[in-house]
Amino acid sequence: MENFASLLAGFQVALAPENIGVCLLGAVLGLVVGAMPGIGSLAGCALLLPLTYKFNPTTAIIMLGALYYANMYGGSFSAILLNIPGDSPAITTALDGYPMARKGRPGQALMTANLSSFIGGTIGILILTLTASGLATIGLMFGYAEMTIILLIAMTSISWLIGENPIKGIVITMLGILVASIGMDTLSGAPRYEFGNMYLLGGIPFTPFIIGCVGFAQVIKLINEREADEKKRASDDSKQKLSIKQSMLTGHDFKRILPPVLRSGFVGTFVGVLPGSGATTGSMVGYAMQKKFKSEEPMGTGAMEGIAASEAANNAAAAGAFAPLLALGIPGSGTGAVLLGGLMMWGLNPGPLLFDTNPDFCWGLISSMYVANIFTLMVAILVIPFLIKILSVPVKYMIPIITCVCIVGAYSTSNSMYGVIVMFVSGIVGYLLDKNGFPTAPMLLAFVLAPMLEENMRKAFIASRGSLGIFADSPLKLVLLAVFLVLVLTPTVKAVRKKLGAKEKTPV
Amino acid sequence: MKKLMALTLAALMLLALAACGGNSGNSGGSGDSGAFTPTKTVTWTCTSSAGGGSDIFSRKISEIMTNEGMVNGQTIVVSNETDGAGEIGRNKIATMKAGDADYNLLTFNSGDLMPMVQNTKNRASNFRILAIMAVDKQLLFSCPGSDSKTDYAKAGGDQNDFAAAIEAAKNGTFVVIGGSKGDDITTYNKLLAEVGLTDAQMSYITYDSTSDAITAALGGNVDFVISKPAAASQYVESGDLNPVLALSTERYSGNLADAPTLSEIGDYENVEVPVWRGVAAPASMSDAAVAFWSDALGKVSATDAWHKEYLETNQLLDQYMDTAAATTYVTDYEADYMAENGIS
Repeated sequence: MENFASLLAGFQVALAPENIGVCLLGAVLGLVVGAMPGIGSLAGCALLLPLTYKFNPTTAIIMLGALYYANMYGGSFSAILLNIPGDSPAITTALDGYPMARKGRPGQALMTANLSSFIGGTIGILILTLTASGLATIGLMFGYAEMTIILLIAMTSISWLIGENPIKGIVITMLGILVASIGMDTLSGAPRYEFGNMYLLGGIPFTPFIIGCVGFAQVIKLINEREADEKKRASDDSKQKLSIKQSMLTGHDFKRILPPVLRSGFVGTFVGVLPGSGATTGSMVGYAMQKKFKSEEPMGTGAMEGIAASEAANNAAAAGAFAPLLALGIPGSGTGAVLLGGLMMWGLNPGPLLFDTNPDFCWGLISSMYVANIFTLMVAILVIPFLIKILSVPVKYMIPIITCVCIVGAYSTSNSMYGVIVMFVSGIVGYLLDKNGFPTAPMLLAFVLAPMLEENMRKAFIASRGSLGIFADSPLKLVLLAVFLVLVLTPTVKAVRKKLGAKEKTPV
Repeated sequence: MKKLMALTLAALMLLALAACGGNSGNSGGSGDSGAFTPTKTVTWTCTSSAGGGSDIFSRKISEIMTNEGMVNGQTIVVSNETDGAGEIGRNKIATMKAGDADYNLLTFNSGDLMPMVQNTKNRASNFRILAIMAVDKQLLFSCPGSDSKTDYAKAGGDQNDFAAAIEAAKNGTFVVIGGSKGDDITTYNKLLAEVGLTDAQMSYITYDSTSDAITAALGGNVDFVISKPAAASQYVESGDLNPVLALSTERYSGNLADAPTLSEIGDYENVEVPVWRGVAAPASMSDAAVAFWSDALGKVSATDAWHKEYLETNQLLDQYMDTAAATTYVTDYEADYMAENGIS
């Protein structure tokens, strides 16, 4: 009840005209920035941070919060339409979003993403409001051993993406892990696979690698498809035209996406709260979980459930990530760290006392998230008809445009050509791999998750002096371990039972 | 007639403009006259990402320099160059050609020097050290209210008593200390050597940042955490962290006064590893420019804004050293560090 009263006071702050203004501005900018591959929320917030120094802190964080938030919506646009994830949480969205758009339902795919983002985000914000600082404390219960198991659970999502040829899938996963291990070892500071090269000492930067593997590889693919596309265009003049009305979901569609959205909303919020895991882990866990439930179409072939699970989870995680930031001064993600830096520049002291010393700031931010969520949904739905037009742009124009966007995105991560080189190289490698039947998605997921897994597992082993017992010495760990084992063993058990069943039947 | 007048006037004005340009060109740079005045935009390289401690340090100084009119009305652009864990940016400054060199500054801290010396061939002598602006020290904190996840906590060890932890470690109970990279590791190694333990008895877990390490302490994942006063201050105030040991030759003041130094809790020498924040420049920077920047940084360190908005907010010690003193200090620091870590 006390939280509720504070929230209402917060709404007074958030609904002040200038705050509504910056919130709307943040939402629009966030959508644009999020839709551009590479310039994810991290770069977006970092770029805008200096602009906000002249604002008062509450207004400034409302704008950045809205931006962060809208980013999660925007990231799905290019993932669905072009198969280029705008940011890393959208990798899993592309898995079902792009096939669905190809099946001739781009409008519904975008609508599914928007609605799921909205509902998932709302669940996250509601939980944040109700528990506020309590939520952050739950996050602290998770030590290295618990995080290791959670990351293993997230890793199981890789197995679903491996495709028809398991050996190729495993090879590509290992390649992702290998690439991720380039650079300085996070625990000992020892350089790995840097071959005396100073650039490699810092590792392979995440964003250019993803833009290259997915985005630029897609460009090369488009170059090959160019002629076919032109012929197709010449043969059928019927231009695709879509209005918002045609993008609306039917009652049946809505029924399909609701259960995954609700599940992912809760799980996503929870994952977002955990220290060090942000929206990316959230969407992967959400997607992996959806694999265990029924989907009308198989996942990975354009199932709405897949888009819904991934998008709802990443928006919920974005909201959840604010809990440790506000309550304890702990950044839950890279973007959180930038926001934290911002708080310090504005003269606020982020830490356990922030809720006590600056309640108007904290609650203003939380209530502005409701406002931002609604604004972003409206803007996102209104732009669908325009976005669909992208699909009718001839391939010969798309090639240079996407290439430009890829270069800009890769450059902006560290303001240097190194990112661009990484992008081109990984683009060519990504294309060759794809052409030879190696799916790139497992590599990307392994690239994201492996360093986190390594770090947590090694810390767990340091703390336990190498004993495996640390992974099973509390009820929480046992529950997590059980979830992991169920996920891993179900297919095997199913296969064995099927075989046994078949054997029993044959004599009859 | 009118037309001719206008043309003449225009020509005159053009001449005057050209003359102005020529003049300012002569007076700028490290001319023969000796004194240096900046005449174009200055680039300040910061090898950490935006929003972090080094970034705030760089931006604060450039803000004060611009506001107080110390740089002849020129702008200072802070450029965050994080490629190769910062080594690329440092190498760029180290190898910069004369001329441009006068307009390039670099944030250079003890935490930058250590990995640079470890992983690259660059040394402090490849730079001009312009000044040291502030020095920080560390403390050991514990989080008594956290879940007991470590061996020491599970064995009922007192997390507010470091002497007890040393005893326990000697008797075979495993103790874990957390902290950030660079400076904190050096401090941990010195502490370990002083109390006569091995890393198998009292281990160290490296975190990306101090705030990550504090998070781990709050969650009960480590017994003690090494932190500078500023990062831990809020948590001490809220009662989440407890100062256990001052890694300094004397006790701190204020809410950290309770923490004893190492010599107070046993027969040990005090352990103190100064964490310094400084400013460097390319080795090819002209002497005139070095004198100018070192002097300007001295003026910054004397301003109210620097004391109130930077030192006090971050609880740092004011310790300005000019280029001569800073060069000696950094060179000695580097030699010590290399000797301790067996780097030749």
